[in-house]
Amino acid sequence: MDSLHNGEFSFSNNTSKQDFELLTKALDASLSGIIITDNRQPDNPIIYCNKAFEDISGYQRSEIIGHNCRFLQKDDRNQTARHILRDAIDNGTNAVVDIRNYKKDGTLFWNELYMSPIKDGDDQVKYFIGVQNDVTRRKKAEDEVKFNQAKMEQRIRERTRDLRENEEYLASIVQTVRESLIVLSPDLKVLSVNDHFINTFKVTREETEGKKLYDLGNGQWNIPELRKLLEQILPTNNPVTDFEVAHDFPHIGKKLMLLNAHRIELEGQFKDRILIAIEDITDRRAIEQRKDDFLSIASHELKTPLTTIKGYVQIINRLIKNYDDEKLRESVGKTSLYVDRLNNLIGELLDVSRIQSGMIELHKAPFDFDHMIQETVGSIQQGSRNHEIVLTGQTGVQFNGDESHITQVVTNLLSNAIKYSPDHKEIGVHLSVLSGFIKVAVTDHGVGIAKDEQAKVFDRFYRVRDVQQKFPGMGIGLYICASIVNNHYGSLWVESEPGKGSTFSFTLPLTSNHTNKNGGDDAR
Amino acid sequence: MMPAKILICDDDEGILDLVELVLKEEGYEVIPEINSLNVANLVGSEHPDLVVLDLWMPVLSGDQVLRNLRNDPTTKNLPVVVISASGDGKTIAMNAGANDFIPKPFDLDQLLGRVKALLEAA
Repeated sequence: MDSLHNGEFSFSNNTSKQDFELLTKALDASLSGIIITDNRQPDNPIIYCNKAFEDISGYQRSEIIGHNCRFLQKDDRNQTARHILRDAIDNGTNAVVDIRNYKKDGTLFWNELYMSPIKDGDDQVKYFIGVQNDVTRRKKAEDEVKFNQAKMEQRIRERTRDLRENEEYLASIVQTVRESLIVLSPDLKVLSVNDHFINTFKVTREETEGKKLYDLGNGQWNIPELRKLLEQILPTNNPVTDFEVAHDFPHIGKKLMLLNAHRIELEGQFKDRILIAIEDITDRRAIEQRKDDFLSIASHELKTPLTTIKGYVQIINRLIKNYDDEKLRESVGKTSLYVDRLNNLIGELLDVSRIQSGMIELHKAPFDFDHMIQETVGSIQQGSRNHEIVLTGQTGVQFNGDESHITQVVTNLLSNAIKYSPDHKEIGVHLSVLSGFIKVAVTDHGVGIAKDEQAKVFDRFYRVRDVQQKFPGMGIGLYICASIVNNHYGSLWVESEPGKGSTFSFTLPLTSNHTNKNGGDDAR
Repeated sequence: MMPAKILICDDDEGILDLVELVLKEEGYEVIPEINSLNVANLVGSEHPDLVVLDLWMPVLSGDQVLRNLRNDPTTKNLPVVVISASGDGKTIAMNAGANDFIPKPFDLDQLLGRVKALLEAA
């Protein structure tokens, strides 16, 4: 290694051959492709390439020497990098570009090209040296990063837009709702209210939002029932629905409000915020009250002449005992039957009205369930001698409930059973206790109810189609029965087959640890 | 023995006639009265053994009449049967101090039975 001094070659004639071979070997050992072009020849042909360039490009030296570099770009000519190279060549300056090149087999590779001119003493460019590295993988990774970044940005833009749209959409829903909505912070400051709140309570947004709820409008929201809801009930019973608050507001007057309150439990920025929806039921309740009053009066007024009619029919009944006229007796008997039916209908009308407005009152007290059933069956049996009511089973239970209401249910089921089985004499009543429930089943062998009609028989005013003409009545009996059973937290259902008969069953839970959601004992 | 004297007050003439007829048929002496304002005076002058009283009457309702009777030491034990078609009639009647309540429309035998029982108990 005579020609190497201090890490640099020092050429001499004796060693030049050896030195050149060494350098060539060094160049061939390089991982970077190296070419030299001759700038003095037309079209700047390649006059040298190392081994690595062959490897990178996939061409053989014989296919490389003498060509202009552009063959590496194949048809992909319109690249910015080319213009940079062109300028560098024209100006005889250095250039570094990433350029798309193609291997002999057509595969794209990114070529990171360092190009520098070699000049003679007159500053004329004689050669260009190109050092090339296949940076396809790096480029690909970079591109991927760029692509992912762009994709991410796009997604963020989309999400942001979605979010904004969603927000506006939800806000428009909130503003359209015909209920007042308030959002409270955990320390009961009003964060926002909807338009309906502003309109209903005749306040402005400015004097409402950001203020403590209890301080609003000179403390008009400092309502004991509301405090109880927010401070005592909501922390342990979330959410609270149908909580009734009555309050006399200074400007807008007495309001009856139905509140739903929901404390947000979801972890995060909204946790423990409180949403309150307020329904103003002042007018509704007043209308219900008027309707109930009207119906009570109507029923009273209808029953008054009925009392006289009933009495006189009874007197006639007594008087005609002396006459031997079957037709007359039958007519009076029918009259008396229908007077009773009319009386029942008037009573039912009032019941339906009460049930519908939730006014039905339960007078719960323990009573002997089996005895109640026996009495009811007995009195129905007395009135309908054509049928035989067979009572089986027993409960042996002192049931805590409204005896008169449950009697009404049993009476109704029995009279239906009789009414709808004119040709079959036996009616079955079975009592049992099943895992904490009393069960009463009333079975007839009469006309039965088709499958699709079975669910509807408990609807108000619903009557099974074919039966409608044959058996008169308003068809509200089962609706009332279902309501009564529901009020006792039980259920009433029917199993039936047309032509074979029906079984109406109801269950009542023995443990009555049920309270209403709003904490009251009875329905309102 | 003198027949028992029964005062019946109902603002409905039909019921008044009916009850009068039935009670007379049964041998009672009957004082029918359509205006509840007159009951207090009639009780004072006629000294009935029992009063049959309607609830919903104009001006002075049956329960008011009844309360007045109960507040008067001379009539506080007078047997009173309330008859009414009102759904909450029974509660109102019993709270006002009625001895018995019969919902309208009633069975005549039921009415007579209750009346008889109250008179016998008195």
